[in-house]
Amino acid sequence: MTQSKPIYFETLDKNAYFLTDKITISAAEIRKFATQFDPQPYHTDRIAAETSIFGGLCASGWHVCAIMMKLLSDTLASKNIKLIGSDHVPFLRWHKPAFEGHELYAELNFDGEDKNETNKNFGTILCNVKLLNQENTLIMELQTKLMIEKRSKH
Amino acid sequence: MTTTSFLRSRWFEDIPVGEFHVFGSYTLSEQEMVDFGTSYAPQIYHTNPDAALNTRYKGLIASNWHLCSIWMRLMVDYMEGYSLGVVDGRRNGAGLGFQDLKILKPVRPGHTLTFSHEIIEKSEKILKKKWGIIKSRNEAFNHKGELVMTFVIDILAERNPENFT
Repeated sequence: MTQSKPIYFETLDKNAYFLTDKITISAAEIRKFATQFDPQPYHTDRIAAETSIFGGLCASGWHVCAIMMKLLSDTLASKNIKLIGSDHVPFLRWHKPAFEGHELYAELNFDGEDKNETNKNFGTILCNVKLLNQENTLIMELQTKLMIEKRSKH
Repeated sequence: MTTTSFLRSRWFEDIPVGEFHVFGSYTLSEQEMVDFGTSYAPQIYHTNPDAALNTRYKGLIASNWHLCSIWMRLMVDYMEGYSLGVVDGRRNGAGLGFQDLKILKPVRPGHTLTFSHEIIEKSEKILKKKWGIIKSRNEAFNHKGELVMTFVIDILAERNPENFT
């Protein structure tokens, strides 16, 4: 975490591109998340997973979303971008399973301001996210709307 | 008629548009919200109840992804309950993606959410001959009856091989 100058909506590059860090997912983490939130055999039991639709132990789609959020959060925090929420994900697609041992990272592409969303305290940025693994296979993609704090309210 | 009550053993053809379930309720604690936030959504309004008071939310709120994860758990518990006794109990359920996840109200510690699920469309599209796509609208309401979350999700459902040509 750097102490760089805060970036508010007014000074934010509305078409910025960021590459996140990487997170490697272990079988233990896949099982732990799934046991709590998605206890289906292809997320909790390696043997049962092999004969399932996915063909092996893989992370819950919601676990993959959570990992994406961690990657996105840490990247924006490291730039000191004043993210204050997100209340709309227009679409998300799970393209491929994330298997144990996969090293996941994300590409974040800001895609301009959403001018339909007006608020005196924040502006809204469209953010296209691609989550990939160590072989650069597309695992998941989504578009999310990020609320970025305005400096002018201060 | 015996298999019709086994929700997850049904073939694509057996799942009717318009089917509606209120499938579960859940009360969120402060600790589990902080745990989820700390692991996956480390904004202070998800991780620190005191610091969250000074944010626009004026207190701790649940991460959107935490709410989705709770939706999944309640859905699995509800559906799996009906697949007991079926050898291949999962002819449907794998997710392809969703549209328009919207969070309309903050969810705070102690709030109780109730979740509903309605089949709204069966796509004409067939994947790899074997799979159909079921679209459902999912909603969560809080203890005051306010809509707090909504999304439309696409899941795969296996087609009855008798209908393969």
